Amino acid sequence: MATTAVRTEHLTKRYGAVDALKDLNLEIAKGEVVGYLGPNGAGKTTTVRLLLGLAGPTAGRAEIFGMDCESQPVEVHQRLAYVPGEANLWPSLTGAETLHLLGRVHGRVDTAYSDDLIMRFDLDPSKKVRAYSKGNRQKILLVAALMSRADLLVLDEPTSGLDPLMEQEFRRCIDEARERGQTVLLSSHILSEVEALCDRVAILREGMLVEMGTMVELRHLSALSVDATFDGPVPDISGIEGVSAVETSGRVVRCQVRGTIEPLLRVLATSGVHQLISREPSLEELFLEHYGRPKGPDEPTAPDEPAAPGGAVAKVG
Amino acid sequence: MAASTFAASTVVARLTAKKAARSGALWGYFFGVCVASSALTYLSSYKTEAAREKLAANFGANTALAALFGPAHELQTVAGFTAYKVLGFLSIVGAVWGLLAATRLLRGEEDAGRWELVLCGQTTRRGAAAQALLGLGSGLVALFIVTALVTVLTGRSSKVHFGIGESVFFALALVCSAAVFLAVGAFTSQLAATRRQAAAYAGYVLGACYALRMVADSGIGLDGLRWATPLGWVELLQPLTGPDWVPLLPSAVLVAALALGTVQLAGPRDVGTSTFPDHPTAPARTRLLNGPAGLAARLMRPSVAAWGVALAATALIFGRIAKPAGAAISGSNSIGTVLSKLGAHGVGARAYLGVAFLIMAIMLGFVAANQVTAARTEEASGRLEHLLVLPLSRWSWLRGRVLEAVAVLVVGGLGVGAFTWLGAASGHAGLPFETLVNAGLNMVPPALFVLGTGIFVSGTWPRATSVAVYGVISWSVLVTVIGGFADNSHWLLDTSLFHQMAAAPASAPNWASDGIMVAIGAAAATIGGFAFQHRDLVGE
Repeated sequence: MATTAVRTEHLTKRYGAVDALKDLNLEIAKGEVVGYLGPNGAGKTTTVRLLLGLAGPTAGRAEIFGMDCESQPVEVHQRLAYVPGEANLWPSLTGAETLHLLGRVHGRVDTAYSDDLIMRFDLDPSKKVRAYSKGNRQKILLVAALMSRADLLVLDEPTSGLDPLMEQEFRRCIDEARERGQTVLLSSHILSEVEALCDRVAILREGMLVEMGTMVELRHLSALSVDATFDGPVPDISGIEGVSAVETSGRVVRCQVRGTIEPLLRVLATSGVHQLISREPSLEELFLEHYGRPKGPDEPTAPDEPAAPGGAVAKVG
Repeated sequence: MAASTFAASTVVARLTAKKAARSGALWGYFFGVCVASSALTYLSSYKTEAAREKLAANFGANTALAALFGPAHELQTVAGFTAYKVLGFLSIVGAVWGLLAATRLLRGEEDAGRWELVLCGQTTRRGAAAQALLGLGSGLVALFIVTALVTVLTGRSSKVHFGIGESVFFALALVCSAAVFLAVGAFTSQLAATRRQAAAYAGYVLGACYALRMVADSGIGLDGLRWATPLGWVELLQPLTGPDWVPLLPSAVLVAALALGTVQLAGPRDVGTSTFPDHPTAPARTRLLNGPAGLAARLMRPSVAAWGVALAATALIFGRIAKPAGAAISGSNSIGTVLSKLGAHGVGARAYLGVAFLIMAIMLGFVAANQVTAARTEEASGRLEHLLVLPLSRWSWLRGRVLEAVAVLVVGGLGVGAFTWLGAASGHAGLPFETLVNAGLNMVPPALFVLGTGIFVSGTWPRATSVAVYGVISWSVLVTVIGGFADNSHWLLDTSLFHQMAAAPASAPNWASDGIMVAIGAAAATIGGFAFQHRDLVGE
């Protein structure tokens, strides 16, 4: 029995002269919740459309539960549910009618769970879609996807338009899905949401996967922020291995440390440190680090085979 | 600073004008080409005075043909013939353009949420509506200018010889119905909850106006009804033959009243809501919503019903007046020749109904085009994605839509036959039920051809779908109508779908020709379906 939910091999999509997605190699294990990050135009939605068979790849292939996304879309779709960021539904149908239609076509509906979701998302299903706000239209799609109890949830900006209370409810639903062993691919711009929900995070840039791993792994690849306050004179720490971006303000030194912190600690231990604060980067900082600076030719890419939980592997082609 | 404030406060007018003027200019060119081609056709087909007098004698007083094409005046002149040929036809085209443009640029913008952005600027709801009306007016001006320009150029030919004033007045008459229905569309945009509803309301008004015009022109003593319909006012203008400015007055008054009503209604109405009560909630009716075909049936129900009513009413009227109209045709060689060029080789009521069924075949063609564009809209709007990410193949979705469209067209054809028989029986025309039902069925193949062509284009070049299907119908209508009055090359005539259709019941249906049209349509649909299966979904 396959343990992989999603696998792409050299997946590429070109629109004319534009490379929307380049040589994507991605593997998501069953039961994983994976965040998919990237700025606008990075290729997130293109990836999702290729996985769903709504668009065909220029090169490479994608599989879901071992089935080819392009040649076996119906079989693939029996195992997944999708929530897009834009809820363009049929304006003349009511919420209940839309849920009925989507449920009947999918063929898998947990009716009790559907009723529960409608209540939890505070949705009035008797309203016509054209009378719903954007957030309420989004709730319809969320309920439709979640009520199917599909093995794979593909969520592309699923909480756009939801208020913070509903976003919390969404997080609870994803936690429940994880507990049931469902796999989730969550493409989102809400980094706190991804950080809270996802086992692993993949970061796209200009159509290429530049990073993938658990938060621990990603933090390990990034710099640690260190603030040190001294009792006496401030030592020169700029030459210490792994230390960069040194800023001194009175008796306080602020710096970034890449790799092991041991060389810095050795120096600090003999320099009269009064206070030492170190902080791991948040996902937002990791994200900004990738997108806040131009990509150099020698920029490090994702590790070849990180020891990711669930046996997942991320490679850059 | 003052200039930028002015620019900001007129942004709605300028944006609307940009879109409306482009479309107006394009249609103006089409109007002009129709005028030029009619004039030149007349010159090449009726070269002698005798031929022209004979044409005038036969058509001038024929009320039956007047009900179909509008009244004829001075057919012995190129001016009279040109006015007769294009005025009625282009009035309908202009009215449809007007109502679609107005509902698209007013209610459509509101549906898309862009209106809210506009209202965040330096304007009010009433101000924005007034500006949009000004923008739509620019579209009308573009339509008029281009039509007038081509008509004036055509009139400068020594053989055509329309005066500049005559040409300009003719162009004014041609765009008169467009002006009225731009205003009607703008007004219904304030009444309805969606663009689709607004267009449907305006369409009902147009249908009623057309029916009134037909009754007024059918020679049953109700000529005065022409004053009750904007399409009648256009006829009363009598451009090129006996110009009369007075009927412009009701058009101008109606346009002004509707424009004023539009601005007034836009004020108190919240954005996104309607003036007519709209029920934001409804009990779930899920009977049809068990799959894509049921969904399509549910979504298409209003427009199919509207077309059904229009076709049934038209069929009833044609059937009812078939006997007197047929009597008027009998004994006229010239009319017989014209009708035979339209494919009607019979006499009496049969010959008349041969042409009537041609008109209803055109309407059925529009039903087919409507089905194709509705399917394409599902894809363009992104709604199709919600179905195609479920365990549903593209083939299944498309097959459901196509089978449903085929059923609508077949039932439409049979219904037209049955309602025409009902009308004919009430008028004692003495035509057998089977003959008229066969004539109705005979209308279906051209519509299926349009359907197949539409699916082909939708599969291969999706963004061109609408242009392609309406283009095929418009071209076929143009060629058929011109062909009816001129000695055109059979190569040209053969490019018209409606020329391939036998003019039943005037002549027996040509099932072989019908079969070829259906086969080509089916092949085109298959190729289109295959292409759709293998291409990316494409948005607007």
